Amino acid sequence: MNDIDLAQTPSTPLVRTNSREGRLTMAGDSYPENPFEFFQPIIDWVEGFLADGSAPLSLDLALVYLNTSSIRAMMDIFDRLEEAHQGGRGISVHWSYDPENERVGELAEEFKEDCAFPFTIAPRP
Amino acid sequence: MTERTGNDSLEERIGSILSAQTPPDGWKDSLAELFQRYRDQQRLLDRLTHIADRFQAAERDRSQAYLTRYERKVRQLEKIVRISDQYQTMLHQLKERLEHASNYDALTGLPNRRYMTVRLEEAAAQAARRPEHTFAVMVADIDNFKAVNDGFGHAAGDRVLHAVARALELTLREYDLCARWGGEEFLLLFPACAQENAPAVAERLRRSVHEAPRVDETPAPSISIGYTLHHPGENIDATLLRADEALYKAKAAGRNCCMGL
Repeated sequence: MNDIDLAQTPSTPLVRTNSREGRLTMAGDSYPENPFEFFQPIIDWVEGFLADGSAPLSLDLALVYLNTSSIRAMMDIFDRLEEAHQGGRGISVHWSYDPENERVGELAEEFKEDCAFPFTIAPRP
Repeated sequence: MTERTGNDSLEERIGSILSAQTPPDGWKDSLAELFQRYRDQQRLLDRLTHIADRFQAAERDRSQAYLTRYERKVRQLEKIVRISDQYQTMLHQLKERLEHASNYDALTGLPNRRYMTVRLEEAAAQAARRPEHTFAVMVADIDNFKAVNDGFGHAAGDRVLHAVARALELTLREYDLCARWGGEEFLLLFPACAQENAPAVAERLRRSVHEAPRVDETPAPSISIGYTLHHPGENIDATLLRADEALYKAKAAGRNCCMGL
């Protein structure tokens, strides 16, 4: 499976997938000019990984600012993770944030609300 | 067509049996045929009912699924809106923090040079339109500040700056403005200060600073003040230059005093 490796820009987060380790990393701000084009490959990768084999998938997130389209895309991703989790797949999410920006942690809590899989939120040490 | 003809003949035969006084020959065959036809119809009706029921159930399931999906989407949208609002609040607070940081001096909490420059331009523009609304500008400079820094350390120097800022603020009225102009220099703007009042206002500032609480073992702080009135229509830089000249004269006159030009 083709991995994604996108460097962080002022308006898009770093995105890195690792099919071998079953890991998706995202960090930074997200207000892409074309949210659909930006997120579709990420959603495709998640779907592809979940459809292929039974290895666990973990997300390592350090997202800061998300615009509305990005929030929606992340919720789509979490919905797919939840489905896989209900189907017995190993799923985990870790969301870290700058301890100086407590609000980002509170926002991560909002995302966590509907997720039954392990979802940890912690300030970056 | 043949079926229909058969049925028709059966109907005729049953009709004649029913209208006869005594049952004609072969009435049993006709009755058996009628019974068979009744059972066929019954089976057909059962099947139709069954199929109709299934259609109804499918239709109900479908609208139920629509409803569930609809409710799910509404919940998702509500959540997106909620999270989005929070992000906006976060950005708004960040903007306010940055705005404050770009307009205020972190050490003294006073407006900074950047903020004061904008306010001076505004005041000058207003005075150009309405010359009776001119304003006074004062430059206040802490005397011998270098000696405090050198003799007592920069931390003590910072505390003196803070103490002087508080003392200056104490004497201000609501519309007056005091900014940290740079180093140990403060700039004050008095939007409604008549020429004849300026010396008294400056003197009040000077005294307030001199009576400020002492920092550590440092000598009582004092300031020299140069003040002037903005001449409506002149460039604000000209006003500031005049205030600076007045300050220079105050320093030359032995410090801890006020001079006007």
